[in-house]
Amino acid sequence: MTLTPLLEPHWMNAVLPEIILSISGILMILFDAFAPKARGAMAPLAVLLLMVAAASESMVAGGVFFGGTWETGALTQIFDLVFLLTALLATLFSREYLRREQIEGGEFYALLMWGTVGMMMMAKGLDLLIVVLGLEMLSICIFVLVGYHRRIAISNEASLKYFLMGAFATGFILYGTALFYGACGSTKLSDLANFFQTADPHNPLLTVAFILLMAGLGFKLALAPFHAWAPDVYQGAPTPVAAWLSVAPKVATLMALVRIFWAMGPVAQHAGWMHIVAVLSILSMIIGNAVAIAQRDLKRMLAYSGIAHVGYMMIAMLTVREDSVAAVAVYAVTYALMNVGAFGVVSMLAKNQNDPQTLDDIAGLGFRRPFYGLALSVCMFSLSGLPPTAGFVSKFYIFKTAVESGHSTVALIGILTSIVSVYYYLRVVYFLYMKEGGEGETAIDSGVFGVAALTISIVGILLIGIYPTPLFERAGAAARALLLGQ
Amino acid sequence: MTGLLTVVLFLPIAGAILLVFLPKDIPGPIKGGGLLVSLLTFLASLAIVGRFHDGIGGFQLVESHAWIPQWGINYTVGVYGISLWLVLLTTLLTPVVILASWNSIHKHPKEYVISMLVMESAMIGAFLAMDLVLFYVFFELMLLPMYLIIGVWGGKNRIYAAIKFFLFTIAGSLLMLLGIIYLGFQQVHLTAGGVPTFEITQLYGLSLPPHIQTILFFAFALAFAIKVPLFPLHTWLPDAHVEAPTGGSIILAGVMLKMGTYGFLRFVLPFFPDASIHYAPLLICLSVIGIIYGALVAWVQPDMKKLVAYSSVSHLGFCVMGIFAINQASIEGSILQMVNHGLSTGALFLLVGVVYERRHTRMLADYGGIARTMPVYTVFFVIAMLSSVGLPGLNGFVGEFLILAGSFQTHPGYATVAAIGVILAAIYLLWLIQAVFFGPITKDENRSIPDIAWNEIAAVVPLIIMIVWIGIHPNTFLRRMEPSVQQLLATVRGEQPEKVMTASLAAAATRSPVAQTLLSVRSGARMRGRQGLSVGVQGPKGAQTEVSVLRVTR
Repeated sequence: MTLTPLLEPHWMNAVLPEIILSISGILMILFDAFAPKARGAMAPLAVLLLMVAAASESMVAGGVFFGGTWETGALTQIFDLVFLLTALLATLFSREYLRREQIEGGEFYALLMWGTVGMMMMAKGLDLLIVVLGLEMLSICIFVLVGYHRRIAISNEASLKYFLMGAFATGFILYGTALFYGACGSTKLSDLANFFQTADPHNPLLTVAFILLMAGLGFKLALAPFHAWAPDVYQGAPTPVAAWLSVAPKVATLMALVRIFWAMGPVAQHAGWMHIVAVLSILSMIIGNAVAIAQRDLKRMLAYSGIAHVGYMMIAMLTVREDSVAAVAVYAVTYALMNVGAFGVVSMLAKNQNDPQTLDDIAGLGFRRPFYGLALSVCMFSLSGLPPTAGFVSKFYIFKTAVESGHSTVALIGILTSIVSVYYYLRVVYFLYMKEGGEGETAIDSGVFGVAALTISIVGILLIGIYPTPLFERAGAAARALLLGQ
Repeated sequence: MTGLLTVVLFLPIAGAILLVFLPKDIPGPIKGGGLLVSLLTFLASLAIVGRFHDGIGGFQLVESHAWIPQWGINYTVGVYGISLWLVLLTTLLTPVVILASWNSIHKHPKEYVISMLVMESAMIGAFLAMDLVLFYVFFELMLLPMYLIIGVWGGKNRIYAAIKFFLFTIAGSLLMLLGIIYLGFQQVHLTAGGVPTFEITQLYGLSLPPHIQTILFFAFALAFAIKVPLFPLHTWLPDAHVEAPTGGSIILAGVMLKMGTYGFLRFVLPFFPDASIHYAPLLICLSVIGIIYGALVAWVQPDMKKLVAYSSVSHLGFCVMGIFAINQASIEGSILQMVNHGLSTGALFLLVGVVYERRHTRMLADYGGIARTMPVYTVFFVIAMLSSVGLPGLNGFVGEFLILAGSFQTHPGYATVAAIGVILAAIYLLWLIQAVFFGPITKDENRSIPDIAWNEIAAVVPLIIMIVWIGIHPNTFLRRMEPSVQQLLATVRGEQPEKVMTASLAAAATRSPVAQTLLSVRSGARMRGRQGLSVGVQGPKGAQTEVSVLRVTR
């Protein structure tokens, strides 16, 4: 009997970004503690550290590490970069937001970084326990970040809501994991995959385990009917946090789901589990888009739109194969750019954070402040999936894989609900350009950092929209490498 | 010069990007810049006509570059007989629109000119694209500037109109998107080798199973029927037109509506020939209802702009009827009528805008007798109106005549009913002229309206020239579209081009005297070649024939 060494050679390289981010977070806190006078330098430092982490991605060795519990590869790299991009944009938007609200502190940036580490663990874990560990690490950061605006009531309320609901969700995931462990004796995805080769698809234990797992992960995804927390939490959370929260954790959870669904293989299809997923996806698209129409609060509207967008991404997950995984990866990149960009503009509205940021606050903004109007319009057009934006090619990709996998009906529902969605996205553009701002116009408070972040968003959205080929190539190759081991 | 089409396609958008960097408080240079860009585009598009070879039915000046090679999506543009004149119409109307709104757009002129230029690129792109996805991108891109044009610069009820316009069109086009994806997927399955492609020339030969054709036919037809708009999907049009600023109305009626009819010709007929032939009566029926309904509703409108808007529903009905009559004459007539409608309705909207600028009302009741105060204006208006009515010697006659004569061969009943629409058009447009221009001056404000201004004259004169040119020498235009239409018919019928030509003419000759006249007109046109007689000269005879259409069926 040979013992496999617990630590493979080059293991350091496999967790390089995580190490950098963890240390960076500690640095940020120490910086705040020892040099409180130099607080102005904190955000630039955080940006720099995030960029270092992104640069270190190129040094990450691909392969399986830590006794088959950790996998790095081209696809995890793409997802890592999405997490880092989201964190970077959120940091840029936070700087001006936190200063305006006078709550800047080193721990804010540290929590963003540690949360990113948690997401990286979820995306790379080959063991359900690693996924849960990453999820918990992320969740704790979210609890604190959502309540970061500690002097205002709705921020505290949001934090408490997320904490209570999140605790239950984690419980569900752990129960589900435990039941899978009971059925096959391991929490490793490779063992699960072997087990599912011969598993009886009609074993009720497995079905219960799957439903529990989906309920827990569905909560993190804000997938209907587990979405109820999202609008309240986004509304209460500091807006840059909401931006980050609406994208990164969802993307990380999707990556974990890709691995889990792939391990389940054909059983998932036989047992009709994918029908459950299809129902969740359809429900999300319908509820998200329909309820968003009724929202005048921008953050709540974006919350519901986010629910719908997870629904779209879940369409691709119905059949896990190279193309659909690549589609999810592409959608994740796009979604990060457009959703964080949209929240970013909202975060610049200088008004009392206890009051909702409504459509009236952006009335006439398009002509008053053309750049911000343009940025928000581009994000809206991309969210509604109109060419020539990234939203269009990403949606096209999703629907294409759906049609090819034989999910034309779900795709049709997706198309019909996106017609509905056009209405409320367009309403934002209507307020931007066709409505005159009244007496008490809300000012836009933004500096170099906000402009930089919005520029990244707009350029990214248009670039992917007009010439998506390089991204498609990378995502396609990465997905093939992950699933087929090429 | 290779890349000519790309130049024409991207010149306006490049100009728009340059304009973004101009400060917004200098409206003169901004409008001038916009005009210059659109005129350059027009000149470049004339070069397309120069390089266009008459005898070829297929695509010309084709350029192709890989865009998203993984999915077989390419940037492929090309021009053929059916799209040539529509491209020219677009490049002609854009400078006209910028000129026409020179003094009428005071609010945010920079954004207005930018929207117009983006719009122009999108429209040209949709006409030139030879790749379905590329077409779709431009097709959707058109919506954004038009939404802003209606919503920002429009009238009182502009928001409602803009949103209604956007939602109607996007609903159709998103379903078409699913159709496009499904078509691409079917294509991979049906062809050996299974290389994905969205190139329309590859998709033309595809023989899809009938049930799939039916599904896809409706997915595509719905999108285009909303755009045309075909009865009963037309309700967005009057709202959009009434609220849109003059420039927006001209572009909307002049070019955007043609996307629908063009889409039928370019995609629906050749992609789904069996379904098209099977459902042709349905579409013809709807278009005939639209012709009569549009005309009747136009008749009772108290608002000039609304009257012209409903007349569009009627006129576009002719185009759709001509397309689905599926024969050479009717389709050529439809294409010509698309251009005609762009010119005459564009001119009418422009001229309605002229008086609206001066009096801020479009109600017929507020005018009367202004021929005396605005004599030059009246001349232009009457010419545009007569073109819209279909007076022999002007463009509208040729188009309508070809459509009716062609449709009569395949659907005599519908063609007869549709011919009533021509008479109704004469009634409501003459009624308009009577109420606005002649009779006593009843309102004091009308005694001192300044006549049409230089920029408005400059805008309308090119349209009038084209109206007369097409009217007296349609062969310039028909000659270039003929081979492409033949090829289209061959694709639809699954035959060789030459056979179709003779077959359809022979069939035409045997069936009715109208068709025989048509045959003689058409073969005469062919023999005459470049210089000879024109249909316009035969005007009176043509008018008689038109009457005989009615008589024969009675």
